[in-house]
Amino acid sequence: MGKNIVEVTGLKKYYKDFQAVKGIDLTVEEGEIFGFLGPNGAGKSTTINMLSTITNPTGGTAKINGYDNVKEKNKVRESIGLIFQESTLDEKLTANENLMLHCKFYKVPKNKREERIREVLQIVDLEDKRSNIVETFSGGMKRRLEIARGLLHYPRVLFLDEPTVGLDPQTRNHIWEYILKLKEKAGITIFLTTHYMDEAEICDRVAVMDHGELIALDTPEKLKNDVGGDIIEISTTDNQDAKKKIEESYQVDVTETSEGKLTFQVSEGSSFIVDFVKESDIPIQTVNLRRPTLNDVFLHLTGREIREETVSQRDLMKRSMRGPH
Amino acid sequence: MEGIYAIWQRDVIKFFRDKARLFGSFAMPFMFLILFGSGMSGALSSMIGGNTAGPLADFDFVEFMFPGIIGLTVFNTAIFSALSVVQDKEFGYMREILVSPMSRVSIAIGKVLGGSTVAVIQGLMMLVFVPFIGVSINFFMVLKLIPVMFLVAFAISSIGLLIASSLKTSQGFQMVVQILIFPMLFLSGAMFPLNGMPAWMDVIVKINPLTYSVDMFKKIILQPEQMAPALREAMGLDLTIFDHVITFSQEIIVVLIISVIFVTLATIKFSKSEG
Repeated sequence: MGKNIVEVTGLKKYYKDFQAVKGIDLTVEEGEIFGFLGPNGAGKSTTINMLSTITNPTGGTAKINGYDNVKEKNKVRESIGLIFQESTLDEKLTANENLMLHCKFYKVPKNKREERIREVLQIVDLEDKRSNIVETFSGGMKRRLEIARGLLHYPRVLFLDEPTVGLDPQTRNHIWEYILKLKEKAGITIFLTTHYMDEAEICDRVAVMDHGELIALDTPEKLKNDVGGDIIEISTTDNQDAKKKIEESYQVDVTETSEGKLTFQVSEGSSFIVDFVKESDIPIQTVNLRRPTLNDVFLHLTGREIREETVSQRDLMKRSMRGPH
Repeated sequence: MEGIYAIWQRDVIKFFRDKARLFGSFAMPFMFLILFGSGMSGALSSMIGGNTAGPLADFDFVEFMFPGIIGLTVFNTAIFSALSVVQDKEFGYMREILVSPMSRVSIAIGKVLGGSTVAVIQGLMMLVFVPFIGVSINFFMVLKLIPVMFLVAFAISSIGLLIASSLKTSQGFQMVVQILIFPMLFLSGAMFPLNGMPAWMDVIVKINPLTYSVDMFKKIILQPEQMAPALREAMGLDLTIFDHVITFSQEIIVVLIISVIFVTLATIKFSKSEG
């Protein structure tokens, strides 16, 4: 891979009585898919807003494509494409009109517009919807159109803030196919935030953010290795009893999941499991050995699971503060 | 430059697409002109002695009101055009605009020009009432009306943008505008002749930009120079400021100055309010 397309040093954002981002450092290489992972309210959107020139940082610097995010806003804006969490399409206009306006906003050369609109619509499979009013589109189609629009001016970095939030699983998968296609076809750098673990697995590197700080930054593989070994997941007829017995005989921490299963970590999963089933007198019903996921990584780093549904007070506060309003 | 054009174009496309708004915009002028105007007409002419012979017999209230109705339409459309700025904030499109490399100044100018254009079109649409109310309007008058309407609309759209840049919700915007509309309208000479007003009211009339706007429309449509002086006075067509009868070109200058002031304020406010 080539040069650093995003360079962030000591970036922070403080609001009156709340430190949204507490000084982070990171670099993203050209052509990378860089994932920004963390629970709601961790400071992901605030960071993206600073990187994309929407919000001025309280301190630190950020450079994109070599341009400073505060001093050279317009140069940065020409270099990036942005797909927000909430739709920013004009739903009263047609897909074509939305795209045409974008070309004009970004000064795409007149003789290239037709060709590029066709090209981006083809990437997201919306060629046949070109003259339809956006209001009539489904949630997934709107998302795709937004991704297409974000590509029109050939940005060097595409920022996707929770690109699949609020979409059904099938549509989510489709959106991911398009994003991967993008990376292959356009060679574009993708910087995305998500709180879906499985989505972060696709990234080349992942930064884990919690309470406004970066707590880990590496490839998903490395992060998972750091958890240490494999995850054993069992279900028993008597979880309380089994938990006590396993903790006593193997000196491991056993956690009970919300589905009523017991999980714990061991270093050599496949050999452990043979002896474990043979020797233990626990009434085991099912045994499952798996590699750690990024969810386990987060659990390992913070002692908490990434909750997708709960919206904390702080999160609400963050939402009301976010954006240019 | 192209950015300004794009912002303008979006407002114009959306105006023509919204059929309900297009037809709805006829409702208020129609009611004022036909229900209010025709109703008041008889009462007013008997009060000012229009039923007797003499120059005042020519006083026709509906005819008097017509330039004011054009003023009302231009005013309404222009100021409410800025509502789209607040709605764009609410529905997210403002972010698409603001993260683009366009300058804030082009965005603000594009918005004001878009609102002005739409207001001129709506103002011109009011001319469909002409055959029903007995004013005679020729082609030359229409040619003169268009730039004047545009100038007025530009000033009012700028005021609208200034308000919209200071507010976050469309409800807030609508409240503020409703509070502004009525005093500006009633104290502009659009609804009744501005004769014998209390001094304090006269001050408001003179600082109201709509007064000069409506008076320009009256000068173009009613042709006061061809009227008997008594009738002209009854219709309140001799607008004076510090005992000086203000001319058409002076009015242009007044509205031009108001435009420059407000478009500057609105642009500054718009540029500052967004990050």
